[in-house]
Amino acid sequence: MSRSALEGVMVISLGTGAVVPDAGKILGELGANVIKIESSEHQDFVRTLSVKKNDVPGFNETNRNKRSFGVDLRTEKGKDLVRRLIKMSDVVAENFRGGVVKSLGFDYESVRKLKPDIVYISSQGFGRGGPHADYPAYGPMLASASGMLSIWKQPEDPFPAGSNSPLPDFMASKFVVIAILAALDYKRRTGKGQFIDMAQTEVAAALMGEKYLEYTMNKQVPQPLGNRCPYAAPHGCYPCQGIDNWVAISVFTNEEWRNFGKALGNLAWTRDPKFADIPGRLKNADELDKRIAEWTATREAKEVMDMLQGAGVAAGVVQRAPDTMSDPQIAFDKALIELDHSVVGKRLYPNIPFHMSETPPAPSRTAPLLGQHTEEICRELLKMSAGEIEKLKAEKVLESA
Amino acid sequence: MVAKEREGALTGYRVLDLTDSKGAYCTRLLADLGADVIKIEPPQGDQGRNMPPFLHDEPHPEKSLYFLYRNANKRGITLNLESDEGKDILKKLAKSADVLVENFGPGYMESLGLGYDMLRDINPKLIIAGITEFGLDGPYRNYKGSNIVDFALSGVMITSGYSGKVPTLLPGTPAYDATSVAADIEILAALYCRDAIGKGQKIDVSVHEAARTGLYPWSVPIYSYSLNPGAPLPMPEGRLGAQIYPVYPCKDGFVRVIAITPRNWQALVRVLGSPEVLLMPDWENFIYRVGNAEDLYAIMLEFTTKFTQIELWEAGFREGVPIAPIYDIPTFVNSADATARKFFIEVDHPVAGKGKYPGSPYKWTETPPSVRRAAPCLGEHNEEIYCGELNFTKDDLMALRYAGVL
Repeated sequence: MSRSALEGVMVISLGTGAVVPDAGKILGELGANVIKIESSEHQDFVRTLSVKKNDVPGFNETNRNKRSFGVDLRTEKGKDLVRRLIKMSDVVAENFRGGVVKSLGFDYESVRKLKPDIVYISSQGFGRGGPHADYPAYGPMLASASGMLSIWKQPEDPFPAGSNSPLPDFMASKFVVIAILAALDYKRRTGKGQFIDMAQTEVAAALMGEKYLEYTMNKQVPQPLGNRCPYAAPHGCYPCQGIDNWVAISVFTNEEWRNFGKALGNLAWTRDPKFADIPGRLKNADELDKRIAEWTATREAKEVMDMLQGAGVAAGVVQRAPDTMSDPQIAFDKALIELDHSVVGKRLYPNIPFHMSETPPAPSRTAPLLGQHTEEICRELLKMSAGEIEKLKAEKVLESA
Repeated sequence: MVAKEREGALTGYRVLDLTDSKGAYCTRLLADLGADVIKIEPPQGDQGRNMPPFLHDEPHPEKSLYFLYRNANKRGITLNLESDEGKDILKKLAKSADVLVENFGPGYMESLGLGYDMLRDINPKLIIAGITEFGLDGPYRNYKGSNIVDFALSGVMITSGYSGKVPTLLPGTPAYDATSVAADIEILAALYCRDAIGKGQKIDVSVHEAARTGLYPWSVPIYSYSLNPGAPLPMPEGRLGAQIYPVYPCKDGFVRVIAITPRNWQALVRVLGSPEVLLMPDWENFIYRVGNAEDLYAIMLEFTTKFTQIELWEAGFREGVPIAPIYDIPTFVNSADATARKFFIEVDHPVAGKGKYPGSPYKWTETPPSVRRAAPCLGEHNEEIYCGELNFTKDDLMALRYAGVL
C-alpha cells in the first residue's frame, strides 16, 4: 500500500565530489532510480582520496542509494548507451567542471534533443555567464570567494580557517534536490522540462542574505562576531573536562539567566546585579564568559548540557562523531543507520532525516562499487544480451565490479 | 492545476506560513519558486521582526534586515490563533491551501484544536510540515535549541576555527537553514506524489536531526570507518581547516588553496615559480603537508606574497590547482561573476526602501525564480485576503482587530 514519493522517477547522475552525489543520495532515498555514470578513467574524485576506490567513507556516504554504471564516456559506443539511458530518464544532474559535459556531448542542448522534457541541472562553483564559469569548484573555495568565510572567524583571528566540512557543498546539494523536485512537479503538471544553472557561491551568499543587506543597504562591511550574539549573553562555547571538549550555551531572557543561576547552585557571581539584565550581560560578556568557562572546565560537556537543559537553558555538546553515536535523541530518531557494504563491512551512516506519514523513504542502500550495476542496467534497462555486454566489456567500453 | 508560462515552478500552490525565524527560510525558498506564501503572524508581529541587523541600526519592526530577507516574496496577514475566531479563520484558509508549515513545538497545534487530524478532515490534500527543535518525542523533547546550540550539536562546529582555539560559529542560521531545506525537500516530494496517492501528509522535521545529518554527513562515516577490531581508537576529530584547505597571504589579501592530489601540488609549485624549497618530494604527499602545515606556511609566505589574489586565482586555473580569493562581502557583491549573473536584485519595501537583495542561487530557463515582492509589512495583506477571499467586510476587520483576533 505504501509507496515512495519518487517512485518511477529516473535520474542520471554525472556527479563528482559532494554536491550532485549527495543530491542523488537523497533522491534515491525518496524512491527515485538514480544511476551514477562513472569509469576508472573518469572517476568521481572522492574515490581517489584513498588508495582503495571502494573504501572511501565520504564517497560511500554520499553515493548511497544509487547504482553505478561503469562506462567510458570517451567512446562513441559508451556515449550511445548513456544516450539510451537518458531517453528513459526524467532528470540529468551534473557538477563536472564547467565545459566538461559539453565536450562529452552531454550538455543540456544535446540532451534536450534526445529527451525534450528533461529536467537538467548543472551545478558549478560560479555558475554560467561570469568569467569563472569554467573554474573548478570545491566547497572550501566557494566559501572563500562568496564572502562567507570572511566572517566565519573570531574577531582576533588573523584570517579565517573554515572547517573540515566542505560547506557550502552540503547545502548546495539540498538546493539541487529542491530545484529538481520543483522542476519535476512543474513537468508533471505542464509536460515541460527545463535547464537549471546553479552557482554554489550564490548558495553560500543566499544562506546569509541579511549579511549582504548590511552592505548593500547599510553600507557597512559585516564584521566577524565569533561566537557572540548582539542580543544575548552568555552566548558561546565553553571548555569542558578532557582535551578539546566544549559545550555551547546561550541565554536570551532574564528568566533563562535566573534558571542558569539556579542550575549552578546560585553561585555568588550569578547573583551579581551587573549580570541581571540583558544590557548588563552584554556589557560584561567577557567577564561572564570567563566565569562560565571556570565552572564548565571541571565538568563533562554532556553533564553541563543536561544540567542546563533540565533548568530550561539552551545548551549542547559541541559534538564529534562519537558524541552523536551516543546521543540518546539521535538514537531515538534512528538518525544513524548501520549498513553492510560488501567491501567495507558494517559501518554507520547518517540516516535521511525525513519523517513523512504517507510515503516512507525507500530502504537505504550502500554506495555502489565502481561498475557494480553495469550488467544489471544493460540487461534490465538497455535489454542487451550477455554476448553484447561481454563484447563491450572486452572493448573497454563497459566495466563492471 | 496548470501553471502559466514564465511563472514560477510552484505557481498555483498556496502555502500557509506559521513559522517564526526558525522556519522563515523554508517558506521563503518555496515563495522564490512561485508559491503563494501567506505569512500568518500574531497581531503583535513575528519575533523575527526584532532580529538584528537593522536598517541603519534602527530597531523597528519593518527594518530588521533578517526579517526583510527571510520573508521576501511572501504576503502577510495577522491572526491570533489562540482566539476562537482565529481558529475558525485558519480552518477556512486551510481549505484552499496546499501546504502549511509551523514551528511551534510538539503538541501546540493539537492543543489549539488545529492538529493534523483536524486539518486533514477539512482538506485531505493538505501537506503539513512541523518543525521542532528536538523532534516530537524522545529524551530531548523538551530541550531548548538555539542557533549556536543547534550548530554545536551539528558536528560542524568542533571542526570550525583553529586547532587549539575555540570552535567557531558559522554566521547566519546554519542549523535552521539545514532544517528548512530538509522540510522543503519533503514538502516538494509530498506535492509531487500527492495526486498519485490521493492525499496530503504530515511531515515532521527536527532541527537537531536535520542539522546533524545534513551539514556534515561525512563525519560519522569517517569515524566509523576508522574503528577496527583490535586497533586503537582514532585521534579525536579536530579543527583542520587551516591544514586541509590552507590559507596564505598575498599582496592584497588572502587566498585559499585546495591541493589534494600530487598533481594539484605540482601545479601549485609551478604557480609559485617552482622555488627549490618546495620541490622536496615529501611535500607532494597531502598527509605530510597536513602534518607539517605550520612549517609549510612559513615557507609559502615568501612566495605567495609576490602575487595578487587574482593572479594566483587565474594561475591556479591555468596550471591545475584550485585557488580562490578570500573575498569580503562587498567584493563578492561587486564581483564580475555576481554582476554578470545579476545575482543581486533590487527590491523596494514601503518602509525600508530600496535595497539589493541576494536572489536565488540558480537560473531556470522556463520558470525563473525571482524576488517579486518585498517582505510584508505587519498585516499588509489583511484586507486583500480577508475581504478579497474570505468575504469579510472592512467593518468586520475593524471589529476583529479590536477583539485582538487580527
